[in-house]
Amino acid sequence: MQYAMVIDLNRCVGCHACTIACKAEWDVPADQGRNWVRRMGPANTPFGMASTYYPGLCNHCNEPACVEVCPADVEEMTFTDPKTNKTKTMEVAATWKDPFDGTVQIDKERCIGCGACADACPYGARYVNPDLGEDGKADKCTFCKPRVDKGLEPACVQTCLAEARIFGDLDDPKSKVSKYVKKGAKGLISAAVSIGPNVLYFGNQKDDHLLRTTSTPTVMPEASLRRSLMARMKPEMKKIKNLGLLGLAGAVIAHSVDEDE
Amino acid sequence: MACKLTRRKFLQTASLAAATVPLSKVVTADTGFVQKPFTPPGSFADTKTATGGICEMCFWRCQIVGKVRDGRLAKLEGNPKSIDNGSAICARGNAGVKLLYDPDRLKYPMKNVGERGNPKWKRISWKEAMDECGAKLKAVEDKYGAHGIAMFPHGASAKYPMHYFERTVGTHNVSEASFFQCRGIRDTAYIATIGTPPGEHVDMPSAKAMFFLGCHLGENVHVSHLKRYLKGLENGAKLIVVDPRYSASAAKSDVWVKIKPGTDTAFLLAVMNYLVENKKYDAEFVEEYGEGFDKFKKGIAHATLDWGAKNCDVPAAQIKDVAEILAANAPHVSIHPGRHVSWNGNDFQRERSLACLTGLLGAVGVKGGFVKPKGPKGVKGITWAKGHHGGEYNLKEMADKYHYAPPGTPTDLIREACVTGKPYPIKGCVIWGQNPIQTIPNQEMTIKALKQMEFVMCVDVMPTDITMYADILLPECSYLERYDYIKKGTQWNFADTQQQFISARTPLVAPLFERKDSVWITNELAKRMGYGDKILVVTQEEKVDKELSGAGLSIAQLQKEDGIHIQPGKDPYGVPEDFEVIFYNEDIEENGYPGVPTYIPVEEVPKGYARLVYGRSPVHTFNRSQNNVWLYNAMPENPVWLNDESARKIGLKDGDRVTLVNSEGVKSNNSTSVKVTPGIRKDTVYMVHGYGSVNPAMSVGVGAGVDDQRLITKLAVDPETGAHGMRNNFVKLVKEGKVLDIPA
Repeated sequence: MQYAMVIDLNRCVGCHACTIACKAEWDVPADQGRNWVRRMGPANTPFGMASTYYPGLCNHCNEPACVEVCPADVEEMTFTDPKTNKTKTMEVAATWKDPFDGTVQIDKERCIGCGACADACPYGARYVNPDLGEDGKADKCTFCKPRVDKGLEPACVQTCLAEARIFGDLDDPKSKVSKYVKKGAKGLISAAVSIGPNVLYFGNQKDDHLLRTTSTPTVMPEASLRRSLMARMKPEMKKIKNLGLLGLAGAVIAHSVDEDE
Repeated sequence: MACKLTRRKFLQTASLAAATVPLSKVVTADTGFVQKPFTPPGSFADTKTATGGICEMCFWRCQIVGKVRDGRLAKLEGNPKSIDNGSAICARGNAGVKLLYDPDRLKYPMKNVGERGNPKWKRISWKEAMDECGAKLKAVEDKYGAHGIAMFPHGASAKYPMHYFERTVGTHNVSEASFFQCRGIRDTAYIATIGTPPGEHVDMPSAKAMFFLGCHLGENVHVSHLKRYLKGLENGAKLIVVDPRYSASAAKSDVWVKIKPGTDTAFLLAVMNYLVENKKYDAEFVEEYGEGFDKFKKGIAHATLDWGAKNCDVPAAQIKDVAEILAANAPHVSIHPGRHVSWNGNDFQRERSLACLTGLLGAVGVKGGFVKPKGPKGVKGITWAKGHHGGEYNLKEMADKYHYAPPGTPTDLIREACVTGKPYPIKGCVIWGQNPIQTIPNQEMTIKALKQMEFVMCVDVMPTDITMYADILLPECSYLERYDYIKKGTQWNFADTQQQFISARTPLVAPLFERKDSVWITNELAKRMGYGDKILVVTQEEKVDKELSGAGLSIAQLQKEDGIHIQPGKDPYGVPEDFEVIFYNEDIEENGYPGVPTYIPVEEVPKGYARLVYGRSPVHTFNRSQNNVWLYNAMPENPVWLNDESARKIGLKDGDRVTLVNSEGVKSNNSTSVKVTPGIRKDTVYMVHGYGSVNPAMSVGVGAGVDDQRLITKLAVDPETGAHGMRNNFVKLVKEGKVLDIPA
């Protein structure tokens, strides 16, 4: 199973119901967002004048850049397939990609609020919520997993008056999202940023052109490359875990002393 | 570790904690408050669903439910039982929670111990407030007569007090912005043409073509209205959008007519003349239902394609193209009547033209055409009994003007009387939910009218720019805390099984502080003005229950039915027997206006200026939602749209900060950014209406963006209706103190 969302630009009217419903559902700070809607144009395209929207959210990527950069200690976690009850145990840091539903999630209790994941995301889909904990906690769209697990739709989908947001399982060929893929729905992918996004956009030629030329990330964030290198050294790092933690704690203390002054 | 809490963080944490957990759990002995849970519970966990809510973030009034946790509203959602909006609500609907708990909301009755416009507020008791309002308004009535009181109502809660002043006290000087600065022209023009106000009753889901004149659905959002529009597009309807700007609707159109503002009637006449000349209209329908067609035909014969093209600054071929699309898809065409239609002071004739075009295409009572819903019967308004006060002090009749004015008195006549004292003085003012500062052109004159009053009373939910002029300011329950409006209608798509619904607004949470509902406030006022014996209902619940009883329902019954009563409906299609389309209207002519739809040119844009036009944002209901912190963040200001070629010529770049100055020298009070785009004409600039509030009591919305109303100083009064045309003002942009001429 891989949960995915399709945004049908032919239907979207850019009304922001999705972004506000999300704020209400998940207590998102007023000046932040787990999702966003940006208006594009009116602008000239090779296919005529166009004006469309970029309703964005976490892409729950197949190769999420945010997961491997998490510096929190890894722990064993057991995941359960809601359909088959199969389980899988993995070592994960404070953020991971669920092996069964394909969503990318955060454990806020373990998140240290460093923001590495937010820096790593080429789509800018994560932010650090400063209201949580001492140093804030990373936050982002969860595809409303707690709602979905209870059989509800994601809050943004439920409130979408245009039915422009379609949520479902990409691995199910009969799902609406799979049908959209057959019609040509695609993620925002470029040569340098191709990490398997699972938010897919569908629209007519001119809207599609306007969206992709204005809103597709074309470089992976710098921080991400550096962190990725570090992540590849993780097995080595694990050996000096205590040392690393000491350094981190030191930094936090120094930081707080700084602010107190 | 030392507690390192910034002030912002404290406030946020405190308010957010308060929003999610009961007060008893917020405070701990240790730190003063508890930590917010890292993972919010979501609206579905440990909440009760309160049903019977009816939204009033705008006037469309969707049916909602509240997710309530420990007595506090956590979230609003569409009522899943709704056959109108369904479980969807718009951004504003979702943001209702932030209106409910807005820390800037009016909490207690307040007395202004400063001056009007520069108030100093002193909290007083309800008794003192009502005593003073009653005594002061009674004194005005005794000294100047009932007509010495003017009332400016808006919204569902203002109907009851409006009827009190109109029917019981007996003043004609009641002016609703929703009529005189919005849709009144449409309603009376359609009545004078097809005998009924049109609402937005076009059957878009089944249309083969849709025709929008300035109507910018998408930026203008009402849920079931949008659903009809999008269903039409989904079903393959052709969309024609006539607009000087590449609007949200234009972006989904097949034909975008980039019309010169103010010339829309010329466009419609040219389309109609082409249809008539080429016999592409529905002759059979016109024969059966038409009145005065021959005079109409003769009267519009001058409107050739070339004439239209010249006036409207669009290609003649495009006018022909539009006419052909309409003819090819007739009668299944939705000629949208529009909603906010007070544009240029020549608007009655334009709305008449739209109604005539509908008739010409035979697009009445058929799939995709103009089709009125057949809603449920039985619900009767219970309000103040109609009194007989005569027409003696009716300003409209005294002036023998505005014969097609909507109900009430044109704002312009009231304000003129206030300022001049002629034909009689108006010295008492009641403002209930309306904000005349940001609805009526020429703010300076509105302020003059307010300043000469002997007493001004304001009732509202939030502080707005007008509340600064109150002597007594009263806090009202919001739509989430009161009973009032009964929403009824049918399923949104006529192609589905015919159903009807009735729902009545029910509080989702109890009111906080000392907020009161409008029935209570009005009754207390009536008792003190000597009209206590005329009171027909004592409480808001009693009022709603009595109203519902006509349909065999009650508040209790609706609660049992999850807030919405649904019953079988009726086929809405077919043409009523007595239906007619009055193409040439003799009465209109006898009253001194053109009886055949006529194009009356508006003032041309002076050299160096652009015409200021305005419209809506999907995240705001004019200025009413400006202080809502979620909506504010969704669109913190209203950029001014400028044509890209013009921008290049005067050196403006996208995002540059500018102020505006109009042709009468009035400057905007704030700056905003420039949106540079090919999607607007060179002679026009555009911005979203409702920004730039000046009331410092609105801690979020004050000073955000530019108040377009401030720049609308020139009055263009529609002669038939007395409604205000507000798009005849011209502006230049100012960057870093330098006034920039807009190239032609």
